[in-house]
Amino acid sequence: MNCGDDMKDIYILGIESSCDETSASIIKNGTEEISTVISSQIDIHKDYGGVVPEIASRNHVKNITIVLEECLEKANMTMDEIDAIAITYGPGLIGSLLVGLEAAKTLAFIYNKPLIPVHHIAGHIYANSLVKPLEFPLLAVVVSGGHTELIKMDKHYSFKKLGGTLDDAIGECYDKVARVIGLEYPGGPKLDKLAHEGKDTYDLPIPLNDDTYNFSFSGLKSAVINLAHNEEQRNNEIRKADLACSFENAAISSITNKTKKAIEEFNIKTVIIAGGVAANSFLREEMQKLCDNLKVDLSIPPMKYCTDNAAMIGAAGYYAYLDGRKADLKLNAKSQDTLI
Amino acid sequence: MIYLYIDTSSEYLYSALSKDNEVLSFKKSKLEHDLSAYALDEISKMFEDAKLSPDDVDKIIVVDGPGSFTGTRIGITIAKVYAWAKKIKITTTTSLYAMALSSKFDGIHVPIINARRGFVYAAIYDKDMKELLKPQHIEEEKLLKELEKYDNYKYISNDEFDDIDDIEEYDPDLSKIISYTKDNEDLNPHSVNPNYLKLTAAEESKKND
Repeated sequence: MNCGDDMKDIYILGIESSCDETSASIIKNGTEEISTVISSQIDIHKDYGGVVPEIASRNHVKNITIVLEECLEKANMTMDEIDAIAITYGPGLIGSLLVGLEAAKTLAFIYNKPLIPVHHIAGHIYANSLVKPLEFPLLAVVVSGGHTELIKMDKHYSFKKLGGTLDDAIGECYDKVARVIGLEYPGGPKLDKLAHEGKDTYDLPIPLNDDTYNFSFSGLKSAVINLAHNEEQRNNEIRKADLACSFENAAISSITNKTKKAIEEFNIKTVIIAGGVAANSFLREEMQKLCDNLKVDLSIPPMKYCTDNAAMIGAAGYYAYLDGRKADLKLNAKSQDTLI
Repeated sequence: MIYLYIDTSSEYLYSALSKDNEVLSFKKSKLEHDLSAYALDEISKMFEDAKLSPDDVDKIIVVDGPGSFTGTRIGITIAKVYAWAKKIKITTTTSLYAMALSSKFDGIHVPIINARRGFVYAAIYDKDMKELLKPQHIEEEKLLKELEKYDNYKYISNDEFDDIDDIEEYDPDLSKIISYTKDNEDLNPHSVNPNYLKLTAAEESKKND
């Protein structure tokens, strides 16, 4: 943290390319966003019903220097003014990760700057530090297309996983259920919108309603698929908005139940929501109610930080940099990796 | 002029630093699946060997394919980010041209890369490196038919094939590759991208729908 005039400001260039967004960002002292550029491929992958890894990789390589140039121009800065380069090394699509990784390693090499490896989920958590300083002990509820995890932090850049999904991630489950209902990819946000027009009339199970901090969404997904199939067999019309609402209630209850248990057990001061599903309005409403009741702070990143972006990587990179985490030019991408 | 040559289109890293046509340092390393981890590290060691700094390079020559999609992207990303950031010149050549140039055979050169499922990436050059068949993704059988037009030709490759043997092993002549490609047209780094010569499987399947 920059506490005095005599302390030098630290500028981190963050680079993120773990899925289908090529992004670069310059972050000052871990909290101030100087500039961010995101090139999204969502329209390209829409035609295929989901992200096609090879097409994503091909577009990252096309976009990478354009995104970096725009980011520096927007910040009115040069590479010489950057203190370190933070890069998402994983988890994610390996071919996609490699483009950002090689770009970051190249910049680190030719400018002789420190290279900071950042776990994608650490990035999603630190998106919140761009809104307000993190206060500990903190519970991060990580909800995205690839992750559903509860992570406890007692100090900066110290992560303890309490539990996670045993099968599908919540975002993945949302997209699959959206497809069953007939919503176009990416269906999660559309399903969330549709749920607001319906009522919780279908009887769906609350997933893994037990004493652990783990989640399981494949049973809920199968229940929706079976229900839709059975209704079709009986020539009954599916009430799409009601099914969306019933699904959302069951899925989000699973998250809020376990969040409540963790807040109480670990005397949590702040809850933050991280990941793409943080954009989900129902989750936001229910978590707000829960945190108000338990009198803990809730931090939800603005919509622009919910999807993949390099600002969060730059923010996390700053704290990783303070923690002395540096990589050499042999840093490799990892499609799967645990946040520690 | 200091040139940096990078080819990561196969399981090998072929790279060199040269002063005009004189190679100052080079790497010919079989990195296979570790290419992403070690390519840039090896390149950085090459700078140390040549006692050069990244600021000394005047122009980058990068192989834009065909070959391994991921491998090619690694070299292209390094090269285009380097050229863009340091505002230096950049140009491209193909893996097949580099292979043909390196052949010691006095006749027609047929550089060939196994693209699997009965396909190859191939080109044909005469002994003076005039292009007789442009680099392409082609059925192995069709290439063999095309070659019926010629005699006195030699395959160059590091791969193995079902119906092709008598192959000259590819050992890049880095000095010759640089001297033949260093004056290729300077390109805008943003426009330097792999030339895959093949659509992705998803695009192919969509096209055939």
